[in-house]
Amino acid sequence: MEAPPVTMMPVTGGTINMMEYLLQGSVLDHSLESLIHRLRGLCDNMEPETFLDHEMVFLLKGQQASPFVLRARRSMDRAGAPWHLRYLGQPEMGDKNRHALVRNCVDIATSENLTDFLMEMGFRMDHEFVAKGHLFRKGIMKIVVYKIFRILVPGNTDSTEALSLSYLVELSVVAPAGQDMVSDDMRNFAEQLKPLVHLEKIDPKRLM
Amino acid sequence: MQREEKQLEASLDALLNQVADLKNSLGSFIYKLENEYDRLTWPSVLDSFALLSGQLNTLNKVLKHEKTPLFRNQVIIPLVLSPDRDEDLMRQTEGRVPVFSHEVVPDHLRTKPDPEVEEQEKQLTTDAARIGADAAQKQIQSLNKMCSNLLEKISKEERESESGDTNALVAAVAFGKGLSNWRPSGSSGPGQPGQPGAGTILAGASGLQQVQMAGAPNQQQTMLSGVQMAQAGQPGKMPSGIKTNIKSASLHPYQRKSSPWLLKLGLIQVYRL
Repeated sequence: MEAPPVTMMPVTGGTINMMEYLLQGSVLDHSLESLIHRLRGLCDNMEPETFLDHEMVFLLKGQQASPFVLRARRSMDRAGAPWHLRYLGQPEMGDKNRHALVRNCVDIATSENLTDFLMEMGFRMDHEFVAKGHLFRKGIMKIVVYKIFRILVPGNTDSTEALSLSYLVELSVVAPAGQDMVSDDMRNFAEQLKPLVHLEKIDPKRLM
Repeated sequence: MQREEKQLEASLDALLNQVADLKNSLGSFIYKLENEYDRLTWPSVLDSFALLSGQLNTLNKVLKHEKTPLFRNQVIIPLVLSPDRDEDLMRQTEGRVPVFSHEVVPDHLRTKPDPEVEEQEKQLTTDAARIGADAAQKQIQSLNKMCSNLLEKISKEERESESGDTNALVAAVAFGKGLSNWRPSGSSGPGQPGQPGAGTILAGASGLQQVQMAGAPNQQQTMLSGVQMAQAGQPGKMPSGIKTNIKSASLHPYQRKSSPWLLKLGLIQVYRL
């Protein structure tokens, strides 16, 4: 008896488990220009893209100790763009040879009534911020350089204040689970950005 | 004698090869810069520089190699000087030295430095000899120590200032450190995990008050009023659908894995609406 052909197998799963590979670093304001120049040279040739996003982080506090976190992001400068909902799991520890932070990632585009929906589900907003910066791509790698602004009056995105005098630089790849050579490519790219910015694997739990 | 000669020849060959490679890569880099400057990309420039630095390194290694005899001990003497064109020489130098004559030889076979440089070197050597061996050694050591201290300070300073900022930014993005301090103290409901009962009642009461004050609840104004409205709604209405959803989400043992599912299904509904 041969195994039945793949097309006859019942479809059991839902989605492919996507993982986000992440490297982060920061650069002071006065070094931003040289970093942008180098990124324009190294990355795919396209019009420099800037973005202004408002991100809200929602928590669902269940009986377990650790709450469930969802991140909702909306674009403040692109009218009509869908809202973006993201779930990020705990970073996978253990493999010291892996050069990037790896965590489970689920990305969904939603309509504008996302916040109402989350509230009705029982989520409460924990914090929010505005991110303003530049976006670059190189193949499947995404490089974002952005400044985080603290929102002074909750809900009012006009009154913001910069959190620090630096820009956060993130190099990320969203890929199916198990493709560890992605982190090698990321590390090679990060080498080319030294000494302007040192991108490394930063464990958020260490900073709590 | 034979062995030394062979060694000399071998090392000369190696040196010639290295220098030829270096010259070629320099030439191609210059060509690239001059002719292809509009198509040039930063990685290709970085590659060229890396190549040049690698070749200089190997050149250094070849010179320092133990099998290389001291070139300093060799002397080059011109045997025949003639003002005629020498085809052989032309070929070997790729057309750059056509004639082995009285003008060419002093430049190419020069070993002494310029007179001013020679003066300065003599000055320096007499100064060095004057100090004496011990004092010289001490000075060398203190110089080394100062250099390493300075290097350490610079690298630490650079790392610290950047990594401090980096940590702050990463913490802000990861879990809102420094961002969520702006909630006014009146909202006890959303902030505290452990007191659902008392909290909701309180929030419910103040929420109702706010409704009377504000009139139509405006979600955009403050998230807080919305939150309090939702919580005031729950003990009042008890809609079974919403309650069972939340219950199943929190009581399910595999909360992490199933909740994205629930949300995805729920969200598809929202989108369709």
